[in-house]
Amino acid sequence: MKFAYYPGCSARSTCAELNEAMRRVAKKLGLELTQLESATCTGARELRAIDLIGFFTLNLRILALAEREGLPLMTVCNTCTLNLLDAHAAFVGDPELAIKVNETLTNEGLRYSGRTRISHFLWVLYEDIGLKRLRELVTKPLNGLTVAAFYGCHITRPPQRYGFIDSRNNISLERLAELLGCRSIDYSGRTECCGFHTAAHDERVAIKLTGAHIKSAKIGGAKTMVTPCPLCHTVLDGFQREIERDMGEKLDMPVLHLPQLIGLALGLTPEELRVDRHIVDPETIASFVGG
Amino acid sequence: MNIVPAPLGSGDARRLGQIERHDSLEARNSRLAVGDTLTVRVRRFEREGGADILEFRVPYQRAMRVLDALNWIAENEARDLAYRWFCGSKMCGTCAVRMNGREVLACWEAVEPDMTIEPLRNLPVIRDLVVDRSPFERIVASLEPWIERTAPYAGFPEPLLHKEMENASKALDCIGCMACYSACPVIGLGNLTDFAGPAPLVQLAQTALDPRNDPTKVGRALAQTGIFNCVSCYKCEEVCPAGIPIVSRVIEPLKARAAVLVPGMAKHPQILRRIVAARGRVDPGALVLGVQGFTALRNLPRIWRMLVRGKINPVRTLLGLRTAAASAARRLLS
Repeated sequence: MKFAYYPGCSARSTCAELNEAMRRVAKKLGLELTQLESATCTGARELRAIDLIGFFTLNLRILALAEREGLPLMTVCNTCTLNLLDAHAAFVGDPELAIKVNETLTNEGLRYSGRTRISHFLWVLYEDIGLKRLRELVTKPLNGLTVAAFYGCHITRPPQRYGFIDSRNNISLERLAELLGCRSIDYSGRTECCGFHTAAHDERVAIKLTGAHIKSAKIGGAKTMVTPCPLCHTVLDGFQREIERDMGEKLDMPVLHLPQLIGLALGLTPEELRVDRHIVDPETIASFVGG
Repeated sequence: MNIVPAPLGSGDARRLGQIERHDSLEARNSRLAVGDTLTVRVRRFEREGGADILEFRVPYQRAMRVLDALNWIAENEARDLAYRWFCGSKMCGTCAVRMNGREVLACWEAVEPDMTIEPLRNLPVIRDLVVDRSPFERIVASLEPWIERTAPYAGFPEPLLHKEMENASKALDCIGCMACYSACPVIGLGNLTDFAGPAPLVQLAQTALDPRNDPTKVGRALAQTGIFNCVSCYKCEEVCPAGIPIVSRVIEPLKARAAVLVPGMAKHPQILRRIVAARGRVDPGALVLGVQGFTALRNLPRIWRMLVRGKINPVRTLLGLRTAAASAARRLLS
């Protein structure tokens, strides 16, 4: 199975361990990943707010690069995924925009015709690998590990993109965790917001919101959290010491990237999955590996 | 969690849970039959006595809505139950409540077999399910939500394109029910930020995104909205009974206006744009330094932790390597 791979900015900087874990897990899963070297940022939330044409152009260029390779595009970040899906939908729905963007892309010999399939790694596991195959590949079930799935926003909302009447009904992460042998919990923060997108100018919102989510996961008995989004990870893990200071209590909640949780069950070691790069040391989960 | 397994490999992964958890209109409407009994818990609140949850057993009637259940309770069990409604047909926006932790219009939502009904969040409760809307009204009034023309009226028919009104017309669908205001996590943090909240921004957008409005007045209003504190979580869109794409068609277009009309307000997005245009990708160190200036260095313990774990790279932040992505972004964004 071949995919054009789009790690996004976070997995190349603050969450470089995600990129490393993804590449190792891909090998185990038989995914052949082609990285689009000249792919840019998708513009995060900020570019789409102040420069819509620039935003569409960057995203459609990424889709055009994948189309040139003749490959579907795999992402590992919620916000990149939604940006690409939104740009694709705008391209399909607005012929004027499509012509305008393609005129720009022609300058570097690129053209987008709307054929690139965009899929987050979470969806690739279901749709391309399949749960049956994944179950066969599990060599070290994570028996007894209690996991709190943290979806983040842009993989379940907005409703017009994903179709949920109530995004709390998403269960794709819990189903996966249970397949790997984990026990998943229901808690109030599951599909809530981490506040990442305003953290560069005011991180108090992220600290307050995420503090409540981690605490509800802890009260629910979670030994670790897992997220499909590196931006959520940055707040959940990277800001956790500030969150603890704000709440006045220790949380010590390890947070895994989705490929890291999958990788552990597929027999990769925590070192290979670079969990040592996390701020909160996930040593507590080591005892469950191969249990 | 109690998850009913579906056949492996079936369905669309990004919509997993919609079948299992009755997340479709069809499934929702087929959950109950005449003769069933609903368990309805209502949060009752008196200013003096505090809050209390009362439980009622309500007989299901065909096509029953949350409002019908409340009417049944008021007629048969609790004659003094306070709740608001007027049109009963998704027009007046007065009957919004929270049902099982989610904002709904009582007149438009099918009942659940087991439901807890609470007043909206983020507004003071007057009694039971009735909230005080005056904080919202005060914010809206302060935003001068009317049109002041800079050019005289051109006469009928006014030259106005659909395209020019595409976002304002979405905002005009608002029925002012406050569901989004209750669902907003940033508003839920109280006065932590100066964010005006989704409902007042939708009201503002009705005139601020109208091309006939005076840009100076629009800029004055936007300057006091704290709009860049929106976290883009789409909770408001999810609960909007009028189906307004609040983030993408209201808040983002308003942010774009603010970036042009209010100097310095869009610092964070403008710096991100500059970084992407120069480097092709976001360098987190450069972004935080650019937005916060040297005050970013106050948080030494975190900087140290991130350095040790290789999460930030000061050399890369300072040098900004020339990559293929950088030259592409420069061409596209310059």
